[in-house]
Amino acid sequence: MPELRENEQKTLLVLEKLKGRAPVGKIIEISGLAHAAVMRAALTLTEKKLTTTHEKKQILIQLSEEGRSYAEIGLPERRLLNSLVKLGGEAKVNAAVEEAGLEKKFMSVALGWLSRKGWATIERGVLKCLKEPQLGEDEKLLRLLSEKGSLTVESLNQKMQKAVIVLKGRQLVETEEKTLRELELTGKGWSLVKKGIKLQEEVSQLTPELIRTGNWRTAKLRKFNVKAPGPEALLGKIHPAQQIIQRIREIFLEMGFTEIRGSIVQTAFWNFDALFQPQDHPARDVVDTFYLAHPEKGKLPEKDVVEAVAATHENGWKTGSRGWEYTWSPEEAKRLVLRTHTTAETIRYLSEHKEPPVKVFSVDRVYRNEKLDYKHLAEFHQIEGIIMDKKVTLQDLMGTLTEFYHKLGLEKVQFWPSYFPYTEPSMQSTVYVPELKTWVELCGMGIFRPEVLAPFGVKHPVLAWGGGLERLILLKLGIEDIRLLYKNDLGWIRRTPVCQR
Amino acid sequence: MPTITLDRDRFSAFVGRDLSVEEMAKWLPWLGTDTEEVGSDYVKIEYNPNRVDFCSYGGVARAFRGLMGWETGMPNFEVKQGNIELTVDKSVADVRPYVVSAVVRGLNIDYEAIRELMEMQEALHWMVGRDRKKASIGVHNLDAVEPPFSYVTCAPNEIRFVPLDKTEEMTPQEILEKHEKGMAYKSEVDWASRYPLIVDRNGDVLSFPPIINGELTRVVEDTRNLFIDVTGTEMNAIQRSLNVLVTALADMGGTIESVPVKYSDHILVTPDLTPQKMKMRVDYANEMLGLKLSESKTVEALQKSRLDAKRVEKGVLDVTIPAYRIDILHEIDLVEEVAIGYGYFRLKPTKPATVTTGKQHRVNEVANAVRQIMVGLGFVEALNFILANEVDHYQKMRRKAENLVTLANPVSAEYSIIRNDLLPSLMRNLADNKHQVFPQQIFEVSDVITFNEESESRTEQRIHAAAVSSHPTANFTEIKSILEALLLNLGLKKWTVKEAEHPSFLQGRAAAVSFKGTELGVVGEVHPEVLNNFELENPTGAFEIDLQKIIDATK
Repeated sequence: MPELRENEQKTLLVLEKLKGRAPVGKIIEISGLAHAAVMRAALTLTEKKLTTTHEKKQILIQLSEEGRSYAEIGLPERRLLNSLVKLGGEAKVNAAVEEAGLEKKFMSVALGWLSRKGWATIERGVLKCLKEPQLGEDEKLLRLLSEKGSLTVESLNQKMQKAVIVLKGRQLVETEEKTLRELELTGKGWSLVKKGIKLQEEVSQLTPELIRTGNWRTAKLRKFNVKAPGPEALLGKIHPAQQIIQRIREIFLEMGFTEIRGSIVQTAFWNFDALFQPQDHPARDVVDTFYLAHPEKGKLPEKDVVEAVAATHENGWKTGSRGWEYTWSPEEAKRLVLRTHTTAETIRYLSEHKEPPVKVFSVDRVYRNEKLDYKHLAEFHQIEGIIMDKKVTLQDLMGTLTEFYHKLGLEKVQFWPSYFPYTEPSMQSTVYVPELKTWVELCGMGIFRPEVLAPFGVKHPVLAWGGGLERLILLKLGIEDIRLLYKNDLGWIRRTPVCQR
Repeated sequence: MPTITLDRDRFSAFVGRDLSVEEMAKWLPWLGTDTEEVGSDYVKIEYNPNRVDFCSYGGVARAFRGLMGWETGMPNFEVKQGNIELTVDKSVADVRPYVVSAVVRGLNIDYEAIRELMEMQEALHWMVGRDRKKASIGVHNLDAVEPPFSYVTCAPNEIRFVPLDKTEEMTPQEILEKHEKGMAYKSEVDWASRYPLIVDRNGDVLSFPPIINGELTRVVEDTRNLFIDVTGTEMNAIQRSLNVLVTALADMGGTIESVPVKYSDHILVTPDLTPQKMKMRVDYANEMLGLKLSESKTVEALQKSRLDAKRVEKGVLDVTIPAYRIDILHEIDLVEEVAIGYGYFRLKPTKPATVTTGKQHRVNEVANAVRQIMVGLGFVEALNFILANEVDHYQKMRRKAENLVTLANPVSAEYSIIRNDLLPSLMRNLADNKHQVFPQQIFEVSDVITFNEESESRTEQRIHAAAVSSHPTANFTEIKSILEALLLNLGLKKWTVKEAEHPSFLQGRAAAVSFKGTELGVVGEVHPEVLNNFELENPTGAFEIDLQKIIDATK
């Protein structure tokens, strides 16, 4: 005897009781098993050639919303006829319609069917009743459906089946194709059933009770189909972008850098002026930078610092620079912006920490007035590192960056001359990404200009580098649409691997 | 960033050697340009806005010859004394006060040259002129008009002339209203009662600066002699623009001729190509770069960057900077010239000598602790923008918007305010994830910004933590247990919970949580109306706490 599970045994017994053949619905009804359990049992039994499965297509009919209301109040033509009879068998159309309480939009439908069914005639706006008919097949079907909810076309007689077509044409019923499955015992099945099936209760869940009492020894533990897919386990997780932020923070910490944090809302003074960006610089334009409407302006720092910055912009102050040769406006510097780079905070930190060495970093949010698309975000993250010391050089900056990249798994690095408004000399770095087989531009870097440092009394060279985090994340996660990062799609977060290089 | 497409043959002619596109693509980046595209017979490069002289073939070729060592030191440009005058009327002071000018003769203008000329003007207008505000250039066929010239003003409808690219005569007023360039740049002059004009001895119009030139002086193929005007609001900007332009034209084979520009009280002879002088300490350069170059090697490197340098005293060089290099502001800029002349490719990465220990910021340390605890409780972290909108954050949360921090120039209505709490963003996340499996438990640790009159930025940034738990059996008890697990694991003891009223939460199922007398935040069952507003169907528990207060209280 093949080994059968409890549900399969029960299904066989029901089939025996039903003379060897029965639809699935009937088996469910009699066995009390769940639909899924019977379907699974049917699959196994058929596999073992104990039963065969017959599939039959059926058309299921149901009332539409309109049909349901007609089942209740009657078809429009029936209602019109009734009111006509009430009015003595002859009346003006409008009078009959009003009597029937029929909505205007159903009037032509009702009139059309009245004459099609031969119930009444219409001449010069006058309706004349021809007969008082019995319920039609269509009306009977409406009633039947309203009682039973749904029916199969196959269960109806021919006349009724014709009515289905009529009602469907009037959109009063909806039809749906369904597959009806029947199970039938095979010869092998019959012989097994005849031998007698001794039903043994199966235990699917091992319980504390079974373990404590030792009853697990006698219980029949149901075998699990180990290949069957189970429900998805829902794990808690750190956001993939945050995981990469953490890795970058760790690298900085390993390299001996101290983390700093600062305000997202900055005065233009710290975001631009302190970094020697002239007030008519295109980056300060409203098409590039977010300005605040409320609050609109902030406060400037102490007077001597502001004066030094102003003079440096106007004529170089005592830095030996030519400056930008314009009249600096304190009002412009007070405007509040969403920082366009974390360097706004870096320069403030340096102005408060002038003693070398200073090695600081941040990975934080920055803003640019940009329309969102697959490549651009208005809000994103910047990585920034700073070294201020008595004797540090451009080549030290290259060495530091090389180490930083190596720790990220990027082995090949190149440095090129470049330009940034507040560093000189400046460099751009490209790294080779083996997965993409290409060189990618990542961090920009340089030494802070004397015009930036002198007004704050910083006396030693400051090496700085920075770059967009999202670009690195896209490379690491291998995704192309940057918006995915901040969509917070739970499916994506849950399924993105934690561990990647 | 500005770009220039360098055709191989034409660029080779400017450099004076036959170059392959591979050679061009290999070496141009060492001048500080980015290669955008390499074609079969061209290289398209992007250059930095400080190097406006790269807007011409001549400018790039000069630097390229130096980098390759084929021609070093400062290029010389001769300015012949000319006698074509430009007289400046006093009235221009009220609208566009400054003008400088030059004549360039003996050019062989072809199609390529016309295109380059137009691109140079565009580049200079953008980089030096700040979109024509500070400086704008007019280049004219000298032979189509009769000198001397005058820079004057006229009433908006006083005269008529045919503007460039048109066939009908128009008044300046009509140009501002109907001509594409007029409409684009009218804000530069439309506030004035009289508009600037450059005219010849017969009153024929050369240009209506900074809007448009006259059709009369259009530069065409075979134009040989040019008259150039640069007008603007800043004398230095217009002089520098002129210098970059005329040196590029000289490299195209032209002869530069000066123009006496007669202001009411003085005569200015332009262009003035006198080189700038600046001192540079050799030690300073070496200290910045990490090199040990001798004086003579330093001079050599500067010469490769097309500057001249002479030793004035031990360790100090007198550097001469050509007039087209308008980007040298400070000694440090010369240090970069040393590095470029020496070759960035020869620099070797070194490690800074000082050893330091790293330290993370306390706020991030605590934020990470929250992440660890919440993930342990089965929550998924969300990362939302701080940019938000009033509808999600206030209307849908049943709250009144008060004292919002708002953007003056939002990119869209969806991102027009700065959020001051996290919960609404998490509700938005739930709304966006309705199709995903439940239960949905999401948290966020992030900065929020509130209005604060006292602070420098009139705002205050604080770190918050918030979480939502959404599923058919979510309730107050569940979310409160989760919050308490968090607080306990953050090291808090004896916090107090008391019933609270909050518009976003169900009355009787919301509580305020306090620690040492400070209210940390709120926990509760989200109000069904809020759920309806976000089109959510599952009961949802939520909390939000001010992490900053915990950090301050547990110091």
